[in-house]
Amino acid sequence: MKQAIEELKAIPGVVGACLFGSQEGVLQCNLPGIFKPEKLTAVGQQLSRLLAAGRMSLNDMQDLSLHFDESVVIARELHKGLILFALCDPSFNHNLLTMSLNLLQDELREKVETPVVARSTDVTAPLADNSVESAAGVAASLSSVEYLKWKPLLTDALAKVMGPMAGIIVDEIYADWSQSQAQAAGLSTLLEMIRAEIDDGQKIATFDALIEPHLPS
Amino acid sequence: MATAKEFIDRVSQIDGVAGCVLLREDGQTLGFSLEDPDLYSPLMLLGGKVTQGIRDKMGFSYCRYLRFNREGKENFYLFAIDHFTLGVVQTRDCSVSEMLRGVMRLIGRVSTSSSQAKTESL
Repeated sequence: MKQAIEELKAIPGVVGACLFGSQEGVLQCNLPGIFKPEKLTAVGQQLSRLLAAGRMSLNDMQDLSLHFDESVVIARELHKGLILFALCDPSFNHNLLTMSLNLLQDELREKVETPVVARSTDVTAPLADNSVESAAGVAASLSSVEYLKWKPLLTDALAKVMGPMAGIIVDEIYADWSQSQAQAAGLSTLLEMIRAEIDDGQKIATFDALIEPHLPS
Repeated sequence: MATAKEFIDRVSQIDGVAGCVLLREDGQTLGFSLEDPDLYSPLMLLGGKVTQGIRDKMGFSYCRYLRFNREGKENFYLFAIDHFTLGVVQTRDCSVSEMLRGVMRLIGRVSTSSSQAKTESL
């Protein structure tokens, strides 16, 4: 998602964007530093309320835009509880931004819906079956099949600390991990990369507490 | 502009306007040319508050309008006029820029007249 909001910023007239979870607050942001996190949190909360009200009154609402003298704020709910808002110059390319948001929303929908199907067919906890992974196996590289067994657990645990973006974040980290030499170090490195993405001591502790019972002793 | 009804009529005659509703800041509907004004009034009240909140937080000056973009293209606009909010539904396939120019020109004429007189007339 970090890459996605960087791409939005590349659209002419887009100053930056912010990904906001109604439970989690600011998840990703590439707006100028002058917009402090507490301000963005307040704005995100206000926009979440307005988007929810808009959806109730106008069932085919796509997004909303606030046209100030200096700037335009565009807000869209990408997924339940997850909104993206972008700050733009008044002369921004609205059509291009709308198209990008549509593509982003479609991509997100596909990614979020896929794990649900996977979970319904693979309900076992990753290490409940000893044949899947042994203590030694944790340190060994994960095949994509083994990753699919781990993914629901990682996603569920991460969702509890980072919200609905968890599935996408886990996929992105796995993609980075599997293409790097870190793969040789096994699951422990993958977990370390997820912790680095969480980047919050308390949330990392919660994540670890959720994962640890499933790790082999 | 003598009355809210006349104002509503004038807005409704602008090319690209499917209908409109005028709301006072206490939520009372002063006039409308839409079939179901009650559908829009809660959104208008909240829209006004949120716009003001974001303006204050982000340090912006004036909000020209708030737009709810709809798949059916009958987008819904909110315009603040002193202690009132005007809600406008646009027609499909209209020239949005011309419609906006027409509405804002009319609002400008209302807003630049004596504020007191305007408030009383509304």
